[in-house]
Amino acid sequence: MYEEYFTEEHAIFRTSVRKFVEKELKPHVDRWEDEELFPVELYKRFADEGFLGLGYPEAYGGTPCDRFMSIVFAEEMMRSGSVGLASGLGSHSIAMPPVVHLGTEEQKQRFLVPVLKGEKIAALGITEPNAGSDVANIRTRAVRDGDHYIVNGAKTFITSGCRANFITTAVRTGDAGYKGVSLMVIDSATPGFSVAKKLRKMGWNASDTAELSYVDCRVPAENLLGGEGQGFYGIMANFQNERLALAVMAHAIAALALEESIKYAKSREAFGRTLSGFQVTRHKLVDMATQVEVAREFNYRVASRMEAGKDAIKEVSMAKNFACQVCDKVVYDAVQIHGGYGCAREYLVERLYRDSRILSIGGGTTEIMKEIIGKAAQF
Amino acid sequence: MNYELSDAHKGLQAEMGNFCRAEIAPGSAIFDEAPPDEAAARMRKNLKKLAGTGFLNLLLGEDLLGSCVVGEELARVCPSTFLTAMTSAIAFGRGVKRFGTNTQQERHLPLLAAGDGIGAFACTEAEAGSDLAGMQTAAERRNGHWILNGEKDLVTNAPLADFFLVFAWTHREAGLERGTTLFLIEREASGVTIGSPLATMGLRGAPTAGIRLENCTVTDEAILGGTAGEGWGRMQDLLEEIKLAISVLCVGIGMACMEESTSHAKTKKAFGKPIGLFEGVGAKLATMYMFNDIGRMMICRAACAIEQRDPESPVLSSCAKLFTSEGVGQIADLAMQVHGGHGYLKGAAVERLYRDARFAELAYGTSEMQRAFIARESLDRFRAA
Repeated sequence: MYEEYFTEEHAIFRTSVRKFVEKELKPHVDRWEDEELFPVELYKRFADEGFLGLGYPEAYGGTPCDRFMSIVFAEEMMRSGSVGLASGLGSHSIAMPPVVHLGTEEQKQRFLVPVLKGEKIAALGITEPNAGSDVANIRTRAVRDGDHYIVNGAKTFITSGCRANFITTAVRTGDAGYKGVSLMVIDSATPGFSVAKKLRKMGWNASDTAELSYVDCRVPAENLLGGEGQGFYGIMANFQNERLALAVMAHAIAALALEESIKYAKSREAFGRTLSGFQVTRHKLVDMATQVEVAREFNYRVASRMEAGKDAIKEVSMAKNFACQVCDKVVYDAVQIHGGYGCAREYLVERLYRDSRILSIGGGTTEIMKEIIGKAAQF
Repeated sequence: MNYELSDAHKGLQAEMGNFCRAEIAPGSAIFDEAPPDEAAARMRKNLKKLAGTGFLNLLLGEDLLGSCVVGEELARVCPSTFLTAMTSAIAFGRGVKRFGTNTQQERHLPLLAAGDGIGAFACTEAEAGSDLAGMQTAAERRNGHWILNGEKDLVTNAPLADFFLVFAWTHREAGLERGTTLFLIEREASGVTIGSPLATMGLRGAPTAGIRLENCTVTDEAILGGTAGEGWGRMQDLLEEIKLAISVLCVGIGMACMEESTSHAKTKKAFGKPIGLFEGVGAKLATMYMFNDIGRMMICRAACAIEQRDPESPVLSSCAKLFTSEGVGQIADLAMQVHGGHGYLKGAAVERLYRDARFAELAYGTSEMQRAFIARESLDRFRAA
């Protein structure tokens, strides 16, 4: 299937990731979810397997590949059944692209190389307690002082923020509005930086999510990515990839929930037949399968448009909204098919239900996507 | 048609609202993560307090509309406490009140009303949920005694309960309608083992567990109403009231979502104004309001139908449960969306309410079962006409 997007090489890679997930991750996922953290050694392990470097330039320890290779990886990681695990290990994929695109050679050596080796952990810090979707309105301030910037402010909902060494941080260096926003990499060892708290969440429990505090945090000026005022552009370009990634996550979670539901419906008996022997159940499964298929196909299509270097701001926002909506509906129905057991922690769909809800909020809410689509389509 | 509540009901509602906000609301978030023993102690205390207001007595009594109106106030501030209270006083208690012998009523009702005894309803099994014909639990007649064997699952209140209504075969060959019986089983009875509390997605203050019955031996006096073979019909009658109570749970959760969302929409600012002033957010609030209000009307209609012995009442209570449980799912989803990432965090009320809401479409007949029932009744009715 999907020959127009995936080659033999993708298939081989898929098989190897699937085996890895099956053998090395799945047996431990329940424990990591309960403990609300996965072992930090996994970063190194992922680097050794070549997973961390996917899509990055070879010169910095990466393995260049097309977007569909990353999609294969994301889809297979979702099969671990823990979205938090995948997102925690994958936080570099939103934190490092600005270094690749805006950073100098020296910055790439200093930040990107150790992250791709699994020696350092990277996180992206944009959202603030009072500015989420409204990125142009961030208040964390960086004031130039000789060779340094003095940073004051707070960030929240930062995936991997508790353990990150490098936080690609959005700061205000200029006036109000998007033109005053810059990006800089802040080392967590910098005095004045601290993890204010580890946030506890409905889902994504295996990943850590932090609220970060910056009090007179002296950041070397050479950590600024690109020039002052280039941050907003960097953030927006990054968002396109993040939104595609979230859309892919959504269709992959939905596919997994569907798979679990089919298994359950075929084995669970009621009134003398299996659940799948009932028309309402079969039709429910058909609706789920149809929606997953359409979401997946559209995501691939948008990915291929992005791969070809075409503008896809509108399409990727549509893909995120559509896939997340599909995912919400599919996990809801998956719980429904499981009956009372769908609400019991020991069933995978219970976790998928909690894990998926944030997809329509993170990386820009459904409503913000609609604003973007509306503007792009000139409605 | 008069949509106005009586002054008596309005008075009770206001009193209960004040009581719940002062006495129950402050502890409702704690249930979510408290260790089972601590949660159980808190829940017992809550029931004791509720008993003091006469609320449990109201649930046990004949004023259905009153218990719905007043119950919503409790469900709104603490869905878990409402679920435990309704399971005890309605699923178990109304069973004893409506069908129990004098001795059974004298033994159980005062304890339930005083919050000194907690009841539970044990019906579901691992392999028999909606399809009770697949049930394994059976009572065998031997030497003038009944010997019960079997395993029940997903029993709300089981870790807390002092007594259980247990649905079991007494004559398998006679089929569900003639061959099943509801037994009153005490927690302390020999052969009764309560499983450890199950980890659930939501409503975590109302603890759930399985129960194993191993040669649990009782006399005829343990049969609800004294006569074997009448379990099915009694359960159907009880289900009407239980479905109504679940609908109340839904509207309560829905109102709590509404309250949280409006207050967030008024205080949280983005793009220079409170988010409630954005049309998109406003539209969500409007939808939430509508679902709650229609749900409440359906509850009142079904409650009146049951009180008046209207033959349509079983369908109306199914409709109310179906609509409110699907409605609260949507309401909780909208509430989370209004809150953005803040709503996804532990400690946010909507995070808990979102998980609490999911139970209603599964318990006491999934939505699929409600639709199947409504369809069957409709086919019968309209063919006759």
